[in-house]
Amino acid sequence: MLRVTSSSLKSGAAALIIFATAPPASGHEAWLLTPSEIEALALTPVPFVFASVAVLGPAAGLALLAAAVALALEGRWATIEERASPWLRGLVPSLGAAVLRVGLAAMLLLAATGGLPRHGTAPWTQSTLLVPDMQLSLAPGWDILIVVQVALALILLLGIGTRLAGGVLVLLSGLGLWVFGAEFLSYAPHFAAPGLMLMVIGGGAWSADALMRHDAPDPLTGPAAEALWRGARILVGAGFVYLAVAYKLTQPTLLIAILDHGDFPRFGMTYDVIALIMTGVEIVCGALLVMGRLVRPVALVILGAISFLAVVLGETPLFHANLYGALFVFALAGARAPGPRPSRAAWRMA
Amino acid sequence: MMRRILSRPFAPVLALAGLLTSLAVAAPIYNAGGGAPRAVFLELPARLPEPEVALRADPLPSGRWRLTLAARHFRFTDICVLEAEAVPLGHAHIVHDGVKLAAAYAPIVDIGPLPPGRHRIEAVLRAQDHRAILGRGGLIKGAVVIEVPERAGGV
Repeated sequence: MLRVTSSSLKSGAAALIIFATAPPASGHEAWLLTPSEIEALALTPVPFVFASVAVLGPAAGLALLAAAVALALEGRWATIEERASPWLRGLVPSLGAAVLRVGLAAMLLLAATGGLPRHGTAPWTQSTLLVPDMQLSLAPGWDILIVVQVALALILLLGIGTRLAGGVLVLLSGLGLWVFGAEFLSYAPHFAAPGLMLMVIGGGAWSADALMRHDAPDPLTGPAAEALWRGARILVGAGFVYLAVAYKLTQPTLLIAILDHGDFPRFGMTYDVIALIMTGVEIVCGALLVMGRLVRPVALVILGAISFLAVVLGETPLFHANLYGALFVFALAGARAPGPRPSRAAWRMA
Repeated sequence: MMRRILSRPFAPVLALAGLLTSLAVAAPIYNAGGGAPRAVFLELPARLPEPEVALRADPLPSGRWRLTLAARHFRFTDICVLEAEAVPLGHAHIVHDGVKLAAAYAPIVDIGPLPPGRHRIEAVLRAQDHRAILGRGGLIKGAVVIEVPERAGGV
């Protein structure tokens, strides 16, 4: 019981650390707003639902209840998963690897060339590191990262030495923290995680790696693979919890302004309540990913949510191709590393 | 160790309870200060005098328009940084009838020709990281209205 309580205390402590370390970061979403929307935002008070324990307490209780029900049904869901599992996991070394590689390659190439600028910046004028906000012109002396990103993009696109490229992506995410400081915390976990996943999966069936061996190299197996996979899962989940706290829970008026700007469907609710639900879903889903519970359903929920938001806001999917890839592979593989490709017999049994 | 704990039936629920309870208690305290989102706005320390900006628009012989931004307690710089200090230093965004037209990194900026008609031009002071500087009454901005007659349109 003592150990169980300690997990509760640790998670609480983690939440407080996020509060303490949240930088005045500027998410790219802020750039969507027009000058008049920004002017109105300057005078908008924090909504009552985000400023009152009397509301947030019961809301947290409801979120906990929903999560508890989902966890109670985990066994039933697992039975369904078990049936589809060989087929789904069998797609990881082909389709999963390709989605992950190509999405990351596109992001790297566009970041290096300034082809995916943040709003208000002319295309092809500002090279960035991984994401539109991290302009390399703000980090003198790091122009070499343009070359590194282009090379990494080409390597990933072709699928040559993919496991090594995955490792380089992890290092690049860490380097981003060194170069840009705490601002990069919003992005680093969600790029390091796909890097770890690539280290496990490799280039997959549709890669130069596979062509040169005349076969698809199987994903890594064993304790090292499981540790890397767990690391990827924790990074993706913790990244979501961090973003939910740093941007949504503590800057709700920005989220609400963005929903208003995109004319987000109200579903009969106010934007204040929708923002609160979005925040809760992101925190709970992120925490479940960290704990390795309900990984496939959670991956599908987040994939659906970010796709819907991107469509409503008219954003290109390339802004979040790293996340689409990582979540897609989690939806295929689940909580555990994908393991070797299943035999045809296993597929038939499934 | 952590994996063993999380594999217990109620451990994930208790962990979530700890996380959500902490956030439900801490968020209202954090948000009680009110304030605009820090991702978009930079508040200067109260001890500093509040910056001001006034605009003047002058037509050029070519038909273009030149804006002069007379700023007090604020200095212009073309150096941008990722995270600005809370000091009155930065640039201005020039907004034409509600649409961002240009960024002014110096007090004099050429905004090009304007079509005939009435135009409202605003300058909004921005920090070095492009966040809007927040004064006691909201954004710090100046405005000028330009009437461009038909024959002197320049377009």
